Amino acid sequence: MLNMKQVTKVYRTDTVETHALNSIDIQVSAGEFAAIMGPSGCGKTTFLNVAGLLDTFEAGTYHLDGQDVSRLSDSQMSRIRNQKIGFIFQSFNLIPDLDVYDNIDVPLRYRRMSSKDRRASILQALHTVGLDARKKHLPSQLSGGQQQRVAVARALVGEPKLILADEPTGNLDSQMAAEIMELLSRINQEGCTIVMVTHDQSIADRAKRRVNLLDGKVVENPTETPAPIRSVAGFAGVKSQR
Amino acid sequence: MVLYNLRMALKSLKRNPVLSGLMVGGIALGIGVSTVFVTAFHIFSMNPAPEKSESLFYVKIDNWDPNRPWNDDDPSSTPSQITYRDMVGIMESDIPTFHGGSFKTSVFIHPDPEIGRPYKALSRMCFADFFQLFDPPFEYGSGWDRNSDSGPEAVVVLDHETNQKLFGGENSLGRMVRVEDREFNVVGVLKQWRPFPKYYDPHNGAFEKPENIYMPFEHFRPLEIRSAGNTSNWKDFDWSDFDQYLASEAIWIQMWVQLDSPDQKGAYMSFLNSYTDSQRELGRMQRPNNNKLLNVMEWLDDREVVPEEATSLMIISLLFLVVCALNLIGILLGKFLTRAPEVSVRRALGASRLSVFVQHIIECETIGIFGGFLGILVAVLGLRAVNSLFAGETFEFALDTHMLLQAILLSLVAGLIAGLYPAWRICSIPPATYLKEQ
Ligand SMILES: Nc1ncnc2c1ncn2[C@@H]1O[C@H](COP(=O)(O)OP(=O)(O)OP(=O)(O)O)[C@@H](O)[C@H]1O
Ligand SMILES: [Mg+2]
Repeated sequence: MLNMKQVTKVYRTDTVETHALNSIDIQVSAGEFAAIMGPSGCGKTTFLNVAGLLDTFEAGTYHLDGQDVSRLSDSQMSRIRNQKIGFIFQSFNLIPDLDVYDNIDVPLRYRRMSSKDRRASILQALHTVGLDARKKHLPSQLSGGQQQRVAVARALVGEPKLILADEPTGNLDSQMAAEIMELLSRINQEGCTIVMVTHDQSIADRAKRRVNLLDGKVVENPTETPAPIRSVAGFAGVKSQR
Repeated sequence: MVLYNLRMALKSLKRNPVLSGLMVGGIALGIGVSTVFVTAFHIFSMNPAPEKSESLFYVKIDNWDPNRPWNDDDPSSTPSQITYRDMVGIMESDIPTFHGGSFKTSVFIHPDPEIGRPYKALSRMCFADFFQLFDPPFEYGSGWDRNSDSGPEAVVVLDHETNQKLFGGENSLGRMVRVEDREFNVVGVLKQWRPFPKYYDPHNGAFEKPENIYMPFEHFRPLEIRSAGNTSNWKDFDWSDFDQYLASEAIWIQMWVQLDSPDQKGAYMSFLNSYTDSQRELGRMQRPNNNKLLNVMEWLDDREVVPEEATSLMIISLLFLVVCALNLIGILLGKFLTRAPEVSVRRALGASRLSVFVQHIIECETIGIFGGFLGILVAVLGLRAVNSLFAGETFEFALDTHMLLQAILLSLVAGLIAGLYPAWRICSIPPATYLKEQ
């Protein structure tokens, strides 16, 4: 699904040069649920941005869903983001002026779709996250957990193959975090690949695979992982722990 | 997608109604002011005779000094009026449907002493065809017929105002008016008539009112009337001698012809050329043939009747609109950039740079359009004020559909001017930067 070879991302400012990704090699197979962990500043967000085609990188190759996406134009990258990738952020990042329905509608607006089909998809996604009754609410009228559920609905409404989540539970209490993890596991079981950044070991334990980043490099440590991990192969037959 | 973007734009405008009001107001002011002045310019440059402007021709003949062209700066220029002898000469032609020279002068009218003292009035000395060429509307009667030109018969046409003054506005056909020392018989009374510009004779004020009375041209000779308009001359003679005046190279007559087909026009042009050829043989017109037939709009162009002020005010008002639009750039930029996190989310969810750009341009155009409609209101009020300056005139500065469309178009352009840079800035922000925090 996601295959990076020797990908390097350097941030240059006047004084320092940060190798946020230091010729990173990582493969995530279709159907995986991978948790990315590591100390602050090790490059987790940078990795997700590059993986999500929100940021460019200096060197290496990146194949997404079999397609080389290393050097694409803005409109090509936008189309891939729109059709193959769903994003979930720590701070929810809902659009404050739009109600729940319109927020979930956003990704569908950037593809050709009849309003009837859009409506069906949105209602379906709302149902999945259990917020059917709140579609006219503004984000400010929702709890944090509910907002993150809207964000999940918005990420999955376009039926992406890959969901990239940056600390999706970071701003939630453990009860709500558990709910979100439940939701993500369910989505994963339905076939969607998920790559999630987290600081929380107990959250990471719920993913099928853990990847540790340190200073822009992957440090995979199979001994800490409860399930057998093959770094390249998929996860067929392995149940997520809940 | 356009509708969606429109909805997003309206939401954004509603979020900060005061700021939005200021932006719309800024555009409205610019549109209002520029529409007033563009309308004024438009009216000054209007075609005063739309039905006949292609068949009426102003006649120019080059009788000028062999050593100097009419206009020193333009050797191809032709004098703007003609001499009496040339008018007589070319009126021999029976090619034009209607034709005739005329000139403006001033005469004393002697009303019934019970009504008032003698006063000076502007008079046009013209031929019967004048009323066919320019179609002034008649309240009573009509112009005189061609037979009355020779003689000439003592007939007169009064304008509305003069008929009011002399006869209280009654039907005065058949009544007598004393002009200078002769009695004239009223054969026609005009309604209000205000050709704008006064195209048949734009010399001495292209937007002046027409004359008060109209008399057969040839009365000028016994009354020894001279033109009260522009007269130009290049060859000395004794001005005090009326016969020398008539035989001179002095130009003071405006000559018009109606030529209804290209053939007719061609034939008349050859006639003019053979006329000037024959005059050359007589020792006059030593310059090469340079006769001209200008239709109404060509003639007005040639005279440059559109006041310079109208042109420069229009340009200034358009610049004012541009300034209003430029002022919005800063406000829009600030407004858009505070929205960077939201835009970054849209980018993450699949909006291309182009769709972000389009969304924001549409927001700017929404402001522009609202400003445009409000600006039209401002313009209507402005034109009302302008009209009150011209109170009592029969013409009016008014908006027509053409001007309305133009106002809308201008508001779109203003929206674009204001919006291009901010929209470009917001669409080129790197989305990753603004997604970290919200
Ligand atoms: N726009 C940027 N300009 C310069 N340096 C940057 C930029 N973004 C990130 N960095 C640097 O790149 C490194 C990796 O940053 P990144 O945000 O990926 O860390 P992270 O692993 O997500 O950290 P955290 O767990 O705190 O979110 C850091 O050292 C950071 O300072
Ligand atoms: Mg991070």
